Amino acid sequence: MLKKILIANRGEIACRVMETCQKMGIATVAIYSDADKLAKHVSMADEAYNVGPAPTAESYLQIDKIMEVINRSGADGVHPGYGFLSENAEFSRRLKEAGIAFIGPDEKAVAAMGDKITSKRLAAEAGVSTIPGFDGVIQDADQAATVAAEIGYPVMVKATAGGGGKGMRVASGADDIAEAFRAASSEALSGFGDDRVFIEKFIVQPRHIEIQVLADKQGKTLYLNERECSLQRRHQKVIEEAPSAFVTPEVRQAMGEQSVKLAQAVGYHSAGTVEFIMDADKKFYFLEMNTRLQVEHPVTEMTTGLDLVEQMIRVASGESLSMSQEQIGINGWSMEARVYAEDPARGFLPSIGRLIDYKEPSGEGVRVDSGTFEGGEVSIYYDPMIAKLIVWGKDREQARQRLMEALDSFDIRGVTTNLVFLNALVSHPAFASGDISTGFIGEEFPDGYSGDGGNDQQKELFAVIAGYLRAETRLRAADVHASDADSPWKILKRTGSAS
Amino acid sequence: MNSIADELQRRHQLAELGGGQKRIDAQHNKGKLTARERLLLLLDENSFTEFDALKQHRCQDFGMAGQQFPGDGVVTGYGHINGRLVFVFSQDFTVFGGSLSETNAEKICKVMDKAMEMGAPLIGLNDSGGARIQEGVASLGGYADIFLRNVEASGVIPQLSIVMGPCAGGAVYSPAITDFIGMVKDTSYMFVTGPDVVKTVTHEEVTAEELGGASTHATKSGVCDITFENDVEAMRQTRRLFDFLPLNNLDSAPTYPCDDPFDRREPSLNTLIPESDTQPYEIRELIEKVVDHRDFYEIQPDYARNILIGFGRMEGKTVGIVANNPAVLAGVLDIDSSRKAARFIRFCDAFNIPVITFVDVPGFMPGTQQERGGIIKHGAKLLYAYAEATVPKLTLITRKAYGGAYDVMSSKHLKSDLNLAWPTAEIAVMGAKGAVEILNRREIASAEDPAVEALKLETSYKERFANPFIAAERGYVDEVISPDSTREILCKSLRMLENKSVKKPFKKHGNIPL
Repeated sequence: MLKKILIANRGEIACRVMETCQKMGIATVAIYSDADKLAKHVSMADEAYNVGPAPTAESYLQIDKIMEVINRSGADGVHPGYGFLSENAEFSRRLKEAGIAFIGPDEKAVAAMGDKITSKRLAAEAGVSTIPGFDGVIQDADQAATVAAEIGYPVMVKATAGGGGKGMRVASGADDIAEAFRAASSEALSGFGDDRVFIEKFIVQPRHIEIQVLADKQGKTLYLNERECSLQRRHQKVIEEAPSAFVTPEVRQAMGEQSVKLAQAVGYHSAGTVEFIMDADKKFYFLEMNTRLQVEHPVTEMTTGLDLVEQMIRVASGESLSMSQEQIGINGWSMEARVYAEDPARGFLPSIGRLIDYKEPSGEGVRVDSGTFEGGEVSIYYDPMIAKLIVWGKDREQARQRLMEALDSFDIRGVTTNLVFLNALVSHPAFASGDISTGFIGEEFPDGYSGDGGNDQQKELFAVIAGYLRAETRLRAADVHASDADSPWKILKRTGSAS
Repeated sequence: MNSIADELQRRHQLAELGGGQKRIDAQHNKGKLTARERLLLLLDENSFTEFDALKQHRCQDFGMAGQQFPGDGVVTGYGHINGRLVFVFSQDFTVFGGSLSETNAEKICKVMDKAMEMGAPLIGLNDSGGARIQEGVASLGGYADIFLRNVEASGVIPQLSIVMGPCAGGAVYSPAITDFIGMVKDTSYMFVTGPDVVKTVTHEEVTAEELGGASTHATKSGVCDITFENDVEAMRQTRRLFDFLPLNNLDSAPTYPCDDPFDRREPSLNTLIPESDTQPYEIRELIEKVVDHRDFYEIQPDYARNILIGFGRMEGKTVGIVANNPAVLAGVLDIDSSRKAARFIRFCDAFNIPVITFVDVPGFMPGTQQERGGIIKHGAKLLYAYAEATVPKLTLITRKAYGGAYDVMSSKHLKSDLNLAWPTAEIAVMGAKGAVEILNRREIASAEDPAVEALKLETSYKERFANPFIAAERGYVDEVISPDSTREILCKSLRMLENKSVKKPFKKHGNIPL
């Protein structure tokens, strides 16, 4: 078992990993930038080392400096969290050379899944259902038109090096294909320095459903069921849940088995996620594989009872997985909402500043993964995610109710947050019935969200709360101690001691 | 007998109606309440007892003899706010535009005299067109009678003026003398001379609102201490302010029930001071996290915002708070902020309210505007007020305390009872940059690279002086405390200081540099 783990990350995920390390009795090492001196992950760690100025490129992405900290601290393992160096082949290689355990998959698996064209080919070879499309780079607009006609419109032109929604264009017919090709490749060039694009079928009313896989180095690969992450804003997940209200046991099994096959095909170990897109007929197609711990992993933990970070550490230590596929069940329902410092009323503009008030909700089935505290700072340098609010319920409706209540009792002041927007999503009738797609937020909230002013029942509730507070204030005031009775005024004036 | 009872009822009914239903409607249409409606909101239910409801004017000129309204345009009496006695007058705009007559003034003087006998505060609700011209000098005399009483009562009982309509000409000087002036937005204005006269004399075109509206006085002149959105809020907030104040200068401020623990820790205060000493932060957060229930009643929030003043409570007992605000002009002391704080400190001192001072001050504001405006004398007011005050004085230096401003801001040398500092405190004659420029001018000039040399010297100056230790070694700072324990230490200190008494040399009164 690893003795001391360096967490090459910051914020909530660094704290999350440390929590598991502490539980397992493993020492922790934090790295931090100048801007994070007072951060929660620094105070949580047994040791902490400064790795440079605030910008990530000068600190959290500095492989040389991190290697030096590993050396100085004597850490024997590194957990990369997500983002930053979690899918960086160079970092994995350097760790391997130094004989340090990387708590994640092998670099070859990372490399294989990192390129969209390669990963799609590998998936198809492994028998995973893939989106109909042209298996190769499109050279020009004419070829794009030919390929698109073969696949059938609508189609999506996508950058091979793409991600985060950049370098993607939909063409709904032969008229827009040339423009879609041109726009996608130029965006790909400016965004990723690589203008290669490919074409695939565009799925209408798609849902984003992904399978969590977990594999050890001995060759055992399990699937921990699905998460649905259809509520996205500009391809960024906003609300995730497990299981999916749309997936049937048969579909789940098929998705799980295909995901396991893919993982095995690339010699995968540790935790990973196979992302699928699903159409209205529950046909699913492989999107990509994420070779790291996902932001939304807690909903899987809440419904399977497994600690994914713990499993990753065990696998990295060489242990084999102790459970079998049959033992992986689905217990209840879990949802996660990402609480961001951003203003939904102003195009989700990031908001920065000091968290003057910060009180996390608590209660039955409520879990908050956060990396900050009251008096902490949301800075311009990093992702403006403040916390992940995770709930568990015995069924979807209970989880949803708990999420709404927890969102309401999250008290954050000093920065503008998306809490009201999250609540509007969760309380939306379409979400309540599970009728969602990846286009939902864009269609329902095209201009963001600035509050609906509340319905009559909510207004009445507010009036009651205001009335209660007023009554409380009045009671307090009515009890003000008046010192008239033995006032010095009377005594001193009457005796002539004061004029 | 019946007829007298009937007549009494008739007169009371008339008094209730003021200037009649039509004028009441006009008042409502302006978004204003009537004199009586305001008192109903201001005072506890059924607590108002009226004086002189049947009083009438004695004017015979200009056809006034035939125009009588019982009460004569002002409602006076006493009542209670949360059970504590208060005397009130409320000018009735529906009767002769609320104009001040001889008899009207007599009614106001009567409640003022009563307030002084009983040692209870006075609240005036102003809504008056001015002097009653028909009465001539008798009306003017009435004003002066009121002014005199305002002055005599000053420092004896708290006096509050709430301007809820016009208040022009000589009439402004009664509120001006009182302790706090509140104004209702958009419906009230105060000026010595109105827009018409201004136009004739100075040829300036200006509206009444621009000249003397609530926002003008709240932001530019500093005449207004508190602004209200409307009449209802005005009365509610006046009640809230009243609850902070003692009845008279021999009483202590009232004690509020408090379930906010005195030793409540606020770990977030440990990160309040930004890393860079030039970066602003909001001192209001410190105030709100230290006082009971985050209840801070700020006075003059929109005027001279580089200093904050207001009332809060510690363990239920009222305290006055003065705080430099680094978020505005780096919290510098200038003419306006010195005057603002000085007057507040003198109020607190007059009424036995302890003063807590939060210091983060880079010094006095330089410049011709300030010097020509008399910053010397205005700054001295603040110094005078702090030195003169005998109430418990607590001082906490959060960051900068530079130069003369360090002395002025309730330093140990001015007999502050307890001077605390956070570890981030920098107590020095000036900032590092300015200091090395003077102290090391030659070294810097003769250095190979003056910029590098200056930076090096600045760093060493900071190491030596940018901390609370030198002041603590000399006892100018009693204790260096952890920010999260600020409330606990202040509460304990206030308990210790509760019975503080100081002997002052005999004097008629001091000569504060006005």
